[in-house]
Amino acid sequence: MPTRRAFIGGLAAASAYAGRGWAKVGHPAYLAAARDGTGAYRLFGLDEDGNGLFSVDLPDRGHAAAAHPHRAQAVAFARRPGTFAIVIDCETGRTTSVLNAPAGMHFYGHGAFSADGTRLFTTENEFDTATGMIGVWDVADGYRRIGSFASGGIGPHDVRLMPDGRTLVVANGGIETHPDSGRAKLNIPFMQPNLTYVSLSGEIVEQVEPEASRHMNSIRHLAVSPDGLVAFAMQWQGDVSEAPSLVALHRRGAAFTYLDTPPDEHRKMQGYAGSIAFSGNGAQVAITSPRGGLVQVFDVATARYRRSISMADVCGVAPAQGGFTITSGTGEIGRPDGASAGVLIQHDVQWDNHLVALHA
Amino acid sequence: MKKYLMPALIALLPASGMAAPKAEDVVRDTVLPGFVALAEASHDLATAAQGACSQDNGELKARFGEAFDAWVAVSHLRFGPTETDERAFALAFWPDSRGATPSRLGALIRDRDPVVEDPAAFGSVSIAARGFYGLEYLLYDGAIATPDTADYRCALGRAVAADIARNADAILEDWQDRYLALFETAGENDVYRSEEEALQELFKAVTAGLQFTSDTRLGRPLGTYDKPRAARAEARRSGRSLRHVVISLEATRELARALAADAPDVAAALGKAYDSALEKAAGLSDDPVFAGVSDPSGRFRVEILQQKIDELRTVVAGELGPHLGVEAGFNSLDGD
Repeated sequence: MPTRRAFIGGLAAASAYAGRGWAKVGHPAYLAAARDGTGAYRLFGLDEDGNGLFSVDLPDRGHAAAAHPHRAQAVAFARRPGTFAIVIDCETGRTTSVLNAPAGMHFYGHGAFSADGTRLFTTENEFDTATGMIGVWDVADGYRRIGSFASGGIGPHDVRLMPDGRTLVVANGGIETHPDSGRAKLNIPFMQPNLTYVSLSGEIVEQVEPEASRHMNSIRHLAVSPDGLVAFAMQWQGDVSEAPSLVALHRRGAAFTYLDTPPDEHRKMQGYAGSIAFSGNGAQVAITSPRGGLVQVFDVATARYRRSISMADVCGVAPAQGGFTITSGTGEIGRPDGASAGVLIQHDVQWDNHLVALHA
Repeated sequence: MKKYLMPALIALLPASGMAAPKAEDVVRDTVLPGFVALAEASHDLATAAQGACSQDNGELKARFGEAFDAWVAVSHLRFGPTETDERAFALAFWPDSRGATPSRLGALIRDRDPVVEDPAAFGSVSIAARGFYGLEYLLYDGAIATPDTADYRCALGRAVAADIARNADAILEDWQDRYLALFETAGENDVYRSEEEALQELFKAVTAGLQFTSDTRLGRPLGTYDKPRAARAEARRSGRSLRHVVISLEATRELARALAADAPDVAAALGKAYDSALEKAAGLSDDPVFAGVSDPSGRFRVEILQQKIDELRTVVAGELGPHLGVEAGFNSLDGD
């Protein structure tokens, strides 16, 4: 079983993590967006136990952030269909760059850096053709847009860098949206999600689709282990009572391994998984359901369900030493232990969808 | 401090001690009659389609309009029987952002596909060519009505109408034979594990219906100020765009009213917000297909209607939701 040090070490090697920039802001373990007690939106840097190290203003409600591998910079994405993202210097709190989606495009809310930190990749929707795209931005040149390529499907949501440093894994959710119609889903009966592996220059190197009976299970969020195992969380678009598994594992070249949950526990998730993470040692994977107020944990090696943890409005989850760190819309931060949420601290904020581990 | 807060907290709690509406009663009084009406009107439509079927057949178009009305009046009830076997999508595939309906209909007509003679096989035709929106194309679209295809289009129309009736029957039977019992036994089955969950399903139907009307029925033709999209208005060929907004508002109002039956304050707030939205809709009666979205003053009127519906959604989420014990979680109500 890999230790946490090995887990972090593997990623550090892959990402050439230097840490100099982040050291200046207290070596945060996590970033998380939230609405604070005054109703303002902020991005927080947190230590491993959920203590706040810094916070900076956001112009609006955020969705997810991407952390630069060594500069103390975070890219905060607006909720979809946002057309801009901001680059924040976490030391000064200042916005150093603004990423504007080109005309006819909007961001989908997630992004990933290259291992050396020179490129940022963002999921985007070319909405009049409903083509999923990955935007490419030059970090050194003030986050200038230098190109884009197809994501391999409709509605790309999450994107992660694979440990080889040469491949991105993209969750093409399959759902067509158009900003004219708000967040309305335009193609549910015909949707076809997929998991796509694409080179940093846009060549699709592998693509896997769920079988027809699961075509309404939108692949939304990703976690990647240091040895290249991908875990993904899904959101079922059909009748809730018919929802299949909401989490699966994938290794390049193989088929999906769905992780099943006992029916009673499965039902409580309400067909919806909002975030996903591997545990600190990589041996387990967890999904969250804010609708069910539930976290579910599975063993990676056996693909078996292990336990559920209740926490109202839980959504953020990230690796931690000794398991996971979870965050909720009620301000709690926990380190689950058995069936207990293991609340570490309560902040006077509402934590947003995702808890971003800085080293993963 | 705690003592001081207690009375205020009690006032805010869901009124569990009061005679809350029973979900099964709401279903029996408000939900089921809509599906009965849909099945009946769909059979009348299928019968009418057996006769003359040219685009100038007023009788057939009248039956089509009645059945379509009946569908729109239940179109917010998207759970259980409507979702099994994609029945609701087969009745109503819209919006059609990629033009699949004209494309699939065109292919059937071009090939004179004999699938129209076999009701069972027709059930496997692309849902884009089936249902009310496909039939609207056949009955109202000028370009599709070429003289040399009249006989085939007639057969196709009959097949679509019969398929609508079959699906409407299947939904109703499923409600009567299976799904109603889940509401009657709420708290004792796995779908609704408490009475509260059963009520929340109905509440979600209200919010989903209002969201669809705002985002899609109005949002799609509105497009953007620089790029209005009047041609995307729902069922514009049959002049029904505004009509659908009104029917759906009235149907969700009836359901919301039933859910607020024991809470006069909530009911009053809902009534006021619905009146305000319906009043703006009535004011648009001279623009039934939202053609005005392309000019500033016409657009403004559609935007105001959308705004009133969004205000109504705020009342539903902020007043009716808490009354039924629906927690307005920061994340749980903001899926992504």
